[in-house]
Amino acid sequence: MNKIMLKEKKEITLSENEEKELYLLTTEDISLIIHLNKNSHLNIYHYHINKNANIEINLDGENALVTYHFSTINYSSHKINISMNHKALNTSSYLYNHGVNVENQELIFDVVGKILKNISGCICNQENQIINLQDGKSTILPKLEIDNYDIVSTHSAYIGKFKEDILFYLMSRGLSLKKANELLMKGLLINQGSIDKEEVIKFQKEIESI
Amino acid sequence: MLEIKNITVEAKENHQKIIKDLSLTIKNGEIHAIMGPNGTGKSTLSKTIMGHPKYELVDGDIIFNGESISQLTVDERGKRKIFLAMQDPTEIEGVTNSEFIKTSIQEISGERINYFNFIKEIEDSVENLNFNKEMIHRSLNKGFSGGEKKKNEVLQIKMLKPKFIILDELDSGLDVDSLKIVCDNICQYIEKYPETSILIITHYPRILKYLHPNYVHIMKDGKIIKTGDISLALETEKVGYNSINEVNERKAYE
Repeated sequence: MNKIMLKEKKEITLSENEEKELYLLTTEDISLIIHLNKNSHLNIYHYHINKNANIEINLDGENALVTYHFSTINYSSHKINISMNHKALNTSSYLYNHGVNVENQELIFDVVGKILKNISGCICNQENQIINLQDGKSTILPKLEIDNYDIVSTHSAYIGKFKEDILFYLMSRGLSLKKANELLMKGLLINQGSIDKEEVIKFQKEIESI
Repeated sequence: MLEIKNITVEAKENHQKIIKDLSLTIKNGEIHAIMGPNGTGKSTLSKTIMGHPKYELVDGDIIFNGESISQLTVDERGKRKIFLAMQDPTEIEGVTNSEFIKTSIQEISGERINYFNFIKEIEDSVENLNFNKEMIHRSLNKGFSGGEKKKNEVLQIKMLKPKFIILDELDSGLDVDSLKIVCDNICQYIEKYPETSILIITHYPRILKYLHPNYVHIMKDGKIIKTGDISLALETEKVGYNSINEVNERKAYE
């Protein structure tokens, strides 16, 4: 797979039959629009630090597929809007949407998967998690707007702290609470990204600074 | 040496007393086993020694190598090389086994690890445990079978080198061959580090035949009611816990 650079761009378009793996690190408010044409495949790792985001993914061509790993670290109040729009037959989307709300602030995930009435054979899955490190207010709005019966779709949402038994297990092996949280945040937020990538290395450093 | 002095333990959630005035001394190099029916407080005892936040020590004290550990946090106990091999090891998505073990070694020792030595040691340990090498690169205990989880606990023992080990129902979920393998590994560890003390918690004497405890204690209703040697475990298996009569534990030690 090719790698493309798009730190300054707000729009990504994959042409027919194109396959890409993309790493993105954003530290400003971002409005990102993605278009996937017929038979194109996009695997994206998007790391986002303490800003708002509007992300619109359009599966415009048949058999288009997107796997979107979105991870954010939140210190002040922000909202993340993600819209997954299935506009063609047999399109597939897999969204892994993870956040850590560090301070006592608000983090909102508003996530919608849309499939129109005449669009069949689609897969539309979304998994959302927000970990509150303190007592911040977090909200997940996992929405599915589906007007066709011939589709496969799942959605899940979890908001909470890291579980007590998990922290106990890690700390019983000598890890401080800070280190245990750091390991768990890396597991959650790096989100299967390659640790060799520059974007991941920078994001890991941000996690370590929490 | 671990000294448990007249401890009473409550569940924080409902203030129910689970352990009642329990005392136990385990000297360096000794192996003790605790047996008892379900719900008698055996696992609570192991978690209390490790400092689990769900339980509160309302009376008594726990001394490790001359220092009270009752007020220490869980990680401070881990750093003193107390190790709890858990009955049902927790699954943690996204944290790889090798990263976890490497981080633990660094946190306990306070030094950066030598990668060459670490890789060699973990690969040797994995091989000795007849453990799939892939497991060290997978998420911690995620998708592991019951036996693999227990082998992973023993792998951590070999890598972290604790001085006091609690084996909480290590034998559950292990087939006979795997039980022999993990016990052989623990015996090799004791041979290499003979000052290590072990507390085994179990329902069955099978594991004791491999690990040869110095003492076997029967626990019931939050107390140790009888102490003996491995013959007590064998007798208990035959007659059941209800037929075991209470005996002063100090007398049994003598």
